[in-house]
Amino acid sequence: MRDLPRSRDLLALARELLLQELLPLLPRERERDAHLIATTLAMAGREQADDGWQEEIAGALENLYGDRGENLFARFAADLRNGAFETSPSRIAAARAILWRLTIAKLREGNPHFLAANGLRNADGRDE
Amino acid sequence: MAKATSGPVDRQRALAGFLAIASGAENVALSRIALLSGGAIQENWAIDAEFEGGQLAGAQRLVLRCDASTGVPSSLGRVEEFAVLQAAFQVGVTVPEALFVCDDPSVLGKPFFVMRRIAGSALGRPITLDPALEAARPALAERLGRELARLQTIRPPRTDLAFLPPDDGPLALIAQFRAYLDRHPNPRPVLEWALRWAETHLPGRRPTVLCHRDFRTGNYLLEGSRLTAILDWEFAGWGDPDEDIGWFCCKGWRFGRLDREAGGIADRVHFYRGYENESGRQLDRERIRFWEVMANLRWAVIALQQSDRFLLGGTRSLSTAITGRRATECELELLLLLDFIGAAAYA
Repeated sequence: MRDLPRSRDLLALARELLLQELLPLLPRERERDAHLIATTLAMAGREQADDGWQEEIAGALENLYGDRGENLFARFAADLRNGAFETSPSRIAAARAILWRLTIAKLREGNPHFLAANGLRNADGRDE
Repeated sequence: MAKATSGPVDRQRALAGFLAIASGAENVALSRIALLSGGAIQENWAIDAEFEGGQLAGAQRLVLRCDASTGVPSSLGRVEEFAVLQAAFQVGVTVPEALFVCDDPSVLGKPFFVMRRIAGSALGRPITLDPALEAARPALAERLGRELARLQTIRPPRTDLAFLPPDDGPLALIAQFRAYLDRHPNPRPVLEWALRWAETHLPGRRPTVLCHRDFRTGNYLLEGSRLTAILDWEFAGWGDPDEDIGWFCCKGWRFGRLDREAGGIADRVHFYRGYENESGRQLDRERIRFWEVMANLRWAVIALQQSDRFLLGGTRSLSTAITGRRATECELELLLLLDFIGAAAYA
């Protein structure tokens, strides 16, 4: 129902305009600001693409706890603080898998270059 | 009671008067005052001055250091930082000579100290990436290891550093980080998991030493390939001798050269060799891993605190707001450091 072009495409165009046409016109001391804006635009574009990782994590948490309770994410963090899974090898393995999935998903959106620089380009079997 | 001076001309006059009295000069003329870049927490002002008589007679290039308008918690005050800098200078650490300190608000409205201005650049990326420095980097890493060992000859008790709180050990840090996470609006499961690991893998205590607590690439000056000064002592305090080593090697400070684990400039072996030769202490790799985990936890919390200044404090700064996203980089590093099985599966 939304009008086209999609906002993520507009964000990509805005970023190109900034980096290719505006950045060369800026004084050197403002170049870092332009790069920060470009990074923000790229991040926003990737977040809008949303590949459903939050639902995936929520599903994994429901599997871990065996229920669909509210605020499982906060409960998960609290349980990790308390070492709640440490007596069950299968639950700690499941918890670790969630931690990896969560971190990789956030970096896919926030800083995919950092993932690649750490040799995680194909983490989860998907290309950046 | 003296009133704080207000306008720039008043402040310059007050500063010149202070420098004259502190140095024993008949007169001090300030020819240049310029804000130096790179001070998010503190401001550094370059000052060119002509001293008539006194201990600094002649032309002098100085730096005045004072608080910026916003500060990060746990930073020393300028009077205390001055004392730390003096102590480091006395044991031969390469630091700017700290000259005068002032806590009288009638001069500039806030405490400050004055030190000699040292030539060089501290920008991280040129230091790690400039091809011209390629051959010099291993020796630089070794030199930095020696500098750190020299700093660690400063040990409590010290009457000149009596203001530093006692070393409460890593458990106190873990408690601080958890208290912060309790106030943070988003749960951070990876940080919680790593804190739990740290809590259950505490290393044995070592004799307490003076830690810089921000000893890293980006906080030392190079002129060409020569180390000219170690900067930014506002986080210094008593702590574990491996704390600064973990911080120096933390991935967050490698500036585009993640493969060079000693500050983005060299392999660890060079840094460790310099430290071991100067200190006579063999480093324990497992202890360093513990402190590297703590470094990543600390950097994650600092990054989140930066974005809190936007989220909670209303600071309208993109640079500040976006820094919080870097916490996830620390979380990936924590997983890589602590979960070998997962790292093998994903990397």
